[in-house]
Amino acid sequence: MGEGWAGGVEEHSPLQGRRNVYTMGMLMDPVLGRTIERWRDGDRDAFQEVVDRYGLQVLRTARLILRDPALAEDATQETFLKAWRQIASLRDEEPGPWLNRIATNEAISTYRRRHRFQALAERFGRFAGSKREVSSEARMDLARALDQLKPEQRAAVVLHYYQDLSVEDAARALCIPVDTMKSRLKTALRRLRELTGTEEEIG
Amino acid sequence: MSDKFERELRDHLHKEAAQTSQFPRALRSRIADGAEPRARNRIAPQLALAGALVLIAVIALGVRNEKVIITTVRTGIGKIIPTATPAPTPQPFSCSSESGGTVGQSSALTAIRPAGHTGYDRVVFDFNGPIPSYDVVGQDSSTFLNDASGQSVRLEGTAGVKIILRSADPGASSQDSQPSLTAVRQIAQIGNFEHQLSYGIGLASPTCFRTFELSNPARLVIDFDTSRPSVTPSLAPAPAPTSPPSPGPSSLTPFTCTDHSGGTATGTSPAHLTQVRIAHQAAGYDRIVFEFAGGPVPSYTVTRQASTHFVKDASGQEVALQGSAGLKVAFHGAAAYPTFTSSTDQTPGLSVVQEAEQIGDFEGVVSWGVGLSQRSCMRTLELSGPTRLAIDIQTP
Repeated sequence: MGEGWAGGVEEHSPLQGRRNVYTMGMLMDPVLGRTIERWRDGDRDAFQEVVDRYGLQVLRTARLILRDPALAEDATQETFLKAWRQIASLRDEEPGPWLNRIATNEAISTYRRRHRFQALAERFGRFAGSKREVSSEARMDLARALDQLKPEQRAAVVLHYYQDLSVEDAARALCIPVDTMKSRLKTALRRLRELTGTEEEIG
Repeated sequence: MSDKFERELRDHLHKEAAQTSQFPRALRSRIADGAEPRARNRIAPQLALAGALVLIAVIALGVRNEKVIITTVRTGIGKIIPTATPAPTPQPFSCSSESGGTVGQSSALTAIRPAGHTGYDRVVFDFNGPIPSYDVVGQDSSTFLNDASGQSVRLEGTAGVKIILRSADPGASSQDSQPSLTAVRQIAQIGNFEHQLSYGIGLASPTCFRTFELSNPARLVIDFDTSRPSVTPSLAPAPAPTSPPSPGPSSLTPFTCTDHSGGTATGTSPAHLTQVRIAHQAAGYDRIVFEFAGGPVPSYTVTRQASTHFVKDASGQEVALQGSAGLKVAFHGAAAYPTFTSSTDQTPGLSVVQEAEQIGDFEGVVSWGVGLSQRSCMRTLELSGPTRLAIDIQTP
């Protein structure tokens, strides 16, 4: 009965004493595990396979946070190049969440870098015309309302509501305490409700 | 827990994300161009150490006599950096895959030399330049697919090993051969395409192997273990055979102990999962039914695994289900949210199916982990009206 099962991985690990990718074969798709091994050895084809597999996911996350296609592409590029250089920091885990962690933080810092000048300009009130108008009367649609959030808040919303990460996992991805994550989500949600004119449901 | 507004927000984010429907080719090549070739990082600390040593020696220059310093430095560096040709320390035989070589280096393969030794059969690949990046992968059959034509090539023996050499070209005397040794029965080129050379080695039986690299001249050595008469089958992943399309319930397919896949690739709109039911059937199997709201059964894979540990798709969090073996069921082009409202963790406590839990609903992939009390054979059935995928798992 056991014949044909891809079993025996634990009893007969071929790479004992080496990196632990194969011994966790039951967790990671073995083909992906081998691709990661090749990547670790500097194989660019293997790296490209990973880009093809996770690229769209990373790009979508970056776009949701950055709200700008060109910036999102920059952040995606930087995410993968960072990953390429820092493959050693991928421990025994799936590459998906690891890339997601890099991508989310990269998106936030890309946003900060790009908007530093804008923020300064707004403080002096000179170029404030370029900023989208916020009218308290008009009800905004969700897309516009999301535009108004701070990037950290948007990242929290994207991780929790788009990627369906638990509050704990999302906090881990953003490298912040769980309580900070909770309050960030709460503030973001309250702001979105205000902007869209949606009342909070009671109970 | 989540109110109407949160559901709206979730839907909105998914809609926004779906507007990015593909990964731009230009971005893909930008990333490819930006990935600088990396030196193997293992050597880096050693180089740093060697540098430090040289520095210390130079500082000491003022104090000591020149001759002494040079010998100190030389022996010091010699100790730190491994010599170009390491003596091949006999490694244990492995039964899975090996890889190595230098990425980005191109070489011509000048010869392939098989020979029988006490305890092992050795195949040596000679190169006129550095050893190119290679993979050596074991497989359970001696049939190989030609890289370019897709034609299958059957070599002598019952098992095989595939060797892939990247950025390599064949030289004049890298001939196919039929050495008929204890383990190594036949060697044949199965691909020479886009600077990638591949060779198949037909083996008498599944055999564990080890590889090592030698220089002057550059050689890739593969030893096949012949000291043990019979070896456990290699761990090469079994190919997932496609089940015949939509067999009617009357024409039940037999139970097989393999992975299953099938379904129909859905277009832009995902197939919505509505129900998951688990029950024992008197005919000797536990049945799991995944029901969808209309359309054909989306493209699916049912993969067996030796443990009940699963990793949640989005979070990477690990979950352990009840039982001792597992099945991972993944539907592509599918969504569970918002149509699936029942429990995402069911514990029917049947004789074989112990637990089923949704482990992902993300980016159009819905996946479920199933914990089984034992490894079992199964069959899958695609049913319509309503759209269902039934997975029958044999019970003892």
